[in-house]
Amino acid sequence: MPEITWERDFNVAMEKAKKADKPIFHDFWFDG
Amino acid sequence: MNTGPYSDVMVQKYLEEEFVPLKSQCFWDKRTELMKQFYIAWTPTLLVHDTAGQEHHRIVGFVPSDDFLAHLGLGKGKIFFNHFRFAEAIAQFHAIVERHPNAGVIPETIFFLGVAEYWKTHDAKALRRTYDTLTVKYPMSEWARRATPYAQIPS
Repeated sequence: MPEITWERDFNVAMEKAKKADKPIFHDFWFDG
Repeated sequence: MNTGPYSDVMVQKYLEEEFVPLKSQCFWDKRTELMKQFYIAWTPTLLVHDTAGQEHHRIVGFVPSDDFLAHLGLGKGKIFFNHFRFAEAIAQFHAIVERHPNAGVIPETIFFLGVAEYWKTHDAKALRRTYDTLTVKYPMSEWARRATPYAQIPS
């Protein structure tokens, strides 16, 4: 099964988004 | 490990192909700067940002896969809509309605589809069609009530 490649840094995600001209999907999660 | 909707192959494919997926861990005893910046008060909270980081769509709480995919599509459509890219918004909203007819966001999607069609054509009949569709198919929806002013427009 393929895995989703998650970015962990918002600024890096924005750079990637600009380069790829794609929106960012942002999951705020809690481990508990 | 991917769990919940993320275990769905369709969700994985859509996220990988159409978005930059980003995860931010939350800590309630010491809220992070991102939690404060985006007013995160519950998890999961899922945001769709444009390439400048501006939020355009928000989901709070668990949603199953079909609803999840529809939300992702709606988030993309709202980015087009909010940037006045109405032809792309219309195509996006149409695709959501066709692919996820039973999703919870469909009444909202139909509303934005009608408004995007109005902006693109400046034909008020698009708004009247939105009212007609919502009142027939989703009469209990808040979006049908939001479309009530368009009942005054001749069909």
